[in-house]
Amino acid sequence: MIALLLAATTASLPPGPVDFKAQDMRIEPKGHRVYLDGDVHLVRADLTVTGDHALAEYRQQQEPARKRKAQARLGGEAVDKFTVDGRVHMQRGTRTADGDRGVLDVPGQTLVLTGTPDAPPVVRDGSETLSGDRILLRLDNDDMDVQRPKLVLKRSLPSETQKAPTTPVKVEAARLKVFKEKQLAEFRDDVVVRRGDAVVKSPRMDARYDKDGQLTKLEMRGGVDMKQGDRRATGQNADYDAVSKVLVLTGDPRLYDRGDVLAGDKIDMALDSKEVRVEKAKGRLHPEQHKEETASPATGGARRAEHANDETGGRP
Amino acid sequence: MRSQLAIAVVFGLAVACESATVSHTSTPVDAPDLSLQGVAFARLSEGRVVARGTAEHLDYRRAGGRLVATAGAASMEPQPGTTLASFGTLHVTAPHADGEIANRRGTAWGGVDLDTGRGDRGSTEAVEYDGVVLRSEKKVIAHGPGYRVEGNGLIAQADGSSVRLTNRVTGQMQMEAQR
Repeated sequence: MIALLLAATTASLPPGPVDFKAQDMRIEPKGHRVYLDGDVHLVRADLTVTGDHALAEYRQQQEPARKRKAQARLGGEAVDKFTVDGRVHMQRGTRTADGDRGVLDVPGQTLVLTGTPDAPPVVRDGSETLSGDRILLRLDNDDMDVQRPKLVLKRSLPSETQKAPTTPVKVEAARLKVFKEKQLAEFRDDVVVRRGDAVVKSPRMDARYDKDGQLTKLEMRGGVDMKQGDRRATGQNADYDAVSKVLVLTGDPRLYDRGDVLAGDKIDMALDSKEVRVEKAKGRLHPEQHKEETASPATGGARRAEHANDETGGRP
Repeated sequence: MRSQLAIAVVFGLAVACESATVSHTSTPVDAPDLSLQGVAFARLSEGRVVARGTAEHLDYRRAGGRLVATAGAASMEPQPGTTLASFGTLHVTAPHADGEIANRRGTAWGGVDLDTGRGDRGSTEAVEYDGVVLRSEKKVIAHGPGYRVEGNGLIAQADGSSVRLTNRVTGQMQMEAQR
């Protein structure tokens, strides 16, 4: 989702009038409001917003009365904000969004979508979907700010070394900000990443993209806790390479695996093969608990400690 | 709005003509009590002209206070501080108008046009006025600074507090510039 958002080349919403259609239109000049009801369509350039109802609010003029007449428009002002309610649908280029309410801040160039607990707002681009409690779409630079985001990170093409379909990376967090210019998505607070049977938790995570909008790297900071099957790994930081599918833990990294405890300068974990590489490893191993893995190494679970300092019975 | 002004034309003409002396001659049964050609009127309020207008022809029937006018035109100055005042001077024209003074009802038809001092222009085929609300079930077109709108019906409070266009509305609204 983010990949496509980042790759999109949408220009800022150009100035000018918005075209509208509706069943009924009610103008309240004194309240500086226009209500549109029934099958509402708002169109400006490549942006289309539809819904059941819309409220257009006009800028409250604060200029002296002398200037007011010269600058008068409909109701004496131009539309400052549209609030669209009921089955709100937004389309811009290949991107669509749905929600229960959409607020278009014209001078601020933002569209904020909200929904209900049962039907949260959703942004789609192709088959990819991003949802959250509240989605703010910037119309001038395509940045996004999402509260409680839920989304799937994908590389749209499999890597050269892996022809099999890619396993999607699902992310939840308290907050997501997408910066198109920086090719960066910032996840903040209670970040949970799921990929297959692997679950990684961290307070914050940055997702980085290449110029084509392809996910390249996930950077987790502030304490990372990863679980995959019987394994658990912790560290201050973790970097996940989206191409090689390897998670690299640093900052006092530790690996716990059915009684084994390994520490080192760096722990690399291949999420597909489950191969683990520990640099300057030290720890306590219990081989008898890994007989199944030794008998059939092809099933995964192989561990390889480089420069291992195998202190059997010792503590990491 | 336009029919309100058309009614104002009619009322003004009625006021202007009510006290006139009319000779009794032989006329058809449904003939008006007063028939005038090339009428012009002005309405004063507190020493100020608040409305003025013209009509090519005006018939007045005393029974029911009914007026029929052709080629009517009127200009109104809304009271300062009212919702209408923000529109400036209002100009209304209608090829045909009739109304009942006592019931404060009237209709205008044949192509009713409204211009405002602010630069708004609106037109519709016909409007009705019931003393409070203006209605039209015909196509309504209006445009002005920053907007253009078309509808297929109109329901408007005569004091300008609310204007509703109905039956499929399309148009454009000017948007505020980007910060």
